[in-house]
Amino acid sequence: MSGEMANEIKLISGRSHPELSEKVAKRLGIEVARTISLNYSNQETSFTVGESVRDEDVFIIQSTATGDVNEGLMELLIAISACRTASARRITAVIPNFPYARQDKKDKSRAPISARLVANMLQTAGANHIVTVDLHASQIQGFFSVPVDNLYAEPSFLRYIRENYKAEDCVIVSPDAGGAKRATSIADHLNTGFALIHKERPRPNVVGRMVLVGNVEDKIAILVDDMADTCGTLCKAASVLKENGAKAVLALVTHGILSGNAIENLNNSVLEALICTNTVPLGDKLERCPKIRVIDISPTIAEAIRRTHNGESVSYLFNHAPV
Amino acid sequence: MRGTLIFSGSSCPALTGKVCENLGMTPADAELTQFSNGETSVRILTSVREKDVFVVQSGSPKINDTIMELLIMISACKGGSASKITAVLPYFPYSRQSKKKSHRGAITARMLANLLGVAGVKHIITVDLHASQMQGFFKCPVDNLHAEPLIARWIRQNVPDWKEAVVVSKNAGGTKRVTSLADALKLNFGMVTTDKKRGNGNMTSSMVLNHIDAILDPIGEQLTDAVDAASETPAGNVTQPVAGAVAARRPNGSSLHSAKSLPSRLRSSTSALDGVDEEGDQEYNDQRAHEVTQARLVHGHIVPDDFESADVSAATSVAGDDPMTMSHASSFFAPHHAALGGSGDAAESSDEDEEILKDPKVEHMVTLVGDVKNRTVFIVDDMIDKPGSWIAAAETVVKRGLAKKVYCIATHAVFGADCLEQLQGCDCIDHILVTNSYPIPEEKARNASKLHVLDLSYLLAEAIRRNHYGESISPLFQHIVE
Repeated sequence: MSGEMANEIKLISGRSHPELSEKVAKRLGIEVARTISLNYSNQETSFTVGESVRDEDVFIIQSTATGDVNEGLMELLIAISACRTASARRITAVIPNFPYARQDKKDKSRAPISARLVANMLQTAGANHIVTVDLHASQIQGFFSVPVDNLYAEPSFLRYIRENYKAEDCVIVSPDAGGAKRATSIADHLNTGFALIHKERPRPNVVGRMVLVGNVEDKIAILVDDMADTCGTLCKAASVLKENGAKAVLALVTHGILSGNAIENLNNSVLEALICTNTVPLGDKLERCPKIRVIDISPTIAEAIRRTHNGESVSYLFNHAPV
Repeated sequence: MRGTLIFSGSSCPALTGKVCENLGMTPADAELTQFSNGETSVRILTSVREKDVFVVQSGSPKINDTIMELLIMISACKGGSASKITAVLPYFPYSRQSKKKSHRGAITARMLANLLGVAGVKHIITVDLHASQMQGFFKCPVDNLHAEPLIARWIRQNVPDWKEAVVVSKNAGGTKRVTSLADALKLNFGMVTTDKKRGNGNMTSSMVLNHIDAILDPIGEQLTDAVDAASETPAGNVTQPVAGAVAARRPNGSSLHSAKSLPSRLRSSTSALDGVDEEGDQEYNDQRAHEVTQARLVHGHIVPDDFESADVSAATSVAGDDPMTMSHASSFFAPHHAALGGSGDAAESSDEDEEILKDPKVEHMVTLVGDVKNRTVFIVDDMIDKPGSWIAAAETVVKRGLAKKVYCIATHAVFGADCLEQLQGCDCIDHILVTNSYPIPEEKARNASKLHVLDLSYLLAEAIRRNHYGESISPLFQHIVE
């Protein structure tokens, strides 16, 4: 980026995932902007930008740490609002793991569509653009009246599988009917087989009976999903696959939320490995569970920021993962 | 009430229960939980279609979770085709962040107002907003109720000699709140201000006076010595009438003695210098309002005048080339840190400066304006969050102003960290009067014998009832005459 340009990238990091922000900043060859973020004694959040953002292109990176979702969301909103009042030219909220994405429909009477609420809140605070990774449902893009760039972790996944396994030994498995499209897309790119597990889900985070559709015998079964939360589904699916003759079972997910007793579930399961990206801060979970492997998503995010800033097309990133 | 539903947020089920009881209803059914990843889950378990919905939510130690819960509840009711949704917020969160406090800081209160609007709120009922200007942040109507009539009634009924009491503001920004209560009870009022710099050097008259002092110093000093030797005034009592008080605005507390003993020649020259307005004031104003008392505040506590502080005690001599005089001059010409909001702002709260009160290196000058001797003092503000400024003000009025009893009065009992324990432990505070706008944990309240909690549920219930039936709210602002 040339120094003469009046309008430059200002990268601002929330407190939820500073490591990711550092990696993105390093990739872009810039520094994360100085900010002061703290909680008062009554736990109200205060955010101050330490340098001028007047007429700058501001990118605010904030993930949502497991268990502290509302804290992270409020901090992001306050940071956006602070930049808006400080006369930033454009504010892009980079939210690798979009909060409340699963509350995206009125599935019961009077159920809140919280994802739409979050979308409205972000726009009200002053966000002009949203960058996110693997939205739970692409329809969430329609909740916004500002542009939303929904990046895919799929190119990174494809590269990971190609580098670590022989594609012809693998079969891609979707743990539920809703994720079939995601799984078939990967299977098509790798030219491998595909299977599906049908499950009955009485309540959220509770797993019912499971039925396998397709053949996984003597194959490495790779479960693909957008997020791993309590891992109940994944672990149960893994045992179903093992029972049906799979050689090994891996899980490949974008968002490693890993809440509740996810770590115990993983450690006790037949899953060989859980491979996730670093969209969500993992904290000490890597030490507590040796099965977790991490794919760095920061090159994709950094490239999306660079392209957005320079007005270049982002669609290249939908099929290619920057090295 | 027919067609009305009152939902309670998880922060204040007790208050909502009382409000509903007053209205002869039960709180509407909702399930408020969290998913295992920390996201808030709301399930509205009763039909809200075409209903007049009220959602009551106060603050809590997990304030951001509380706010999200409120927003999702409102959003869920809107999605469930409620005819009108009113947010009842006895304590409005983030109300202290209602202006840009630093360059590129956020006006979070305004953002929250917008968020409530976007979630689907059509009306707000709240109590004693930190700054009433915040009503302008909303596009929908805001009913800002006052707890003052309740507080005034409690005082009339429970304070034995309330007619002789003085209402005191603990910081300059809150003076308006104080005068309002003082007017309602027809009481005198006073003010305590805390200055980061030593002494109140930012007035022209005192600057001029310092120079005169320097000229006349030999005489003054001799006389001081003589007077001091003859009658050692007790260190605690430094209350003085106005002429001496202006002279007392000098770089250090110990020079008060010399000011008191200035020759009459200088005293007359002082009033001459002060000009017409000073003298004019005296004619038709209550003399007591002119009483000015100063004290030194170190480590958040009032110290005796002869308290040694390492870094400033050297400056006690009143020489002509006194460096303190010079620094005063410069601080006079360079207005201090009020560039963003202005220190006269009604929303100013001394709470933000609390940290520095504890800094052992910084010594503060506390100034008490008004006479509180042998009187009951009501120290009033809108919320109690941190204890420092309350303790400092209480110690000032008791140790310096010789007040008889001290009541700390506020609407919102936020009580951050160990605030309530510290106030309970402070010898100078006799009673703490708050409302139940902000939930006070029961075990905390049980250990605080000084604490009195007023119930807001009648006020809120009446506001809800009147809103539902389209009646006027204004009677709720009026004081109860008995």
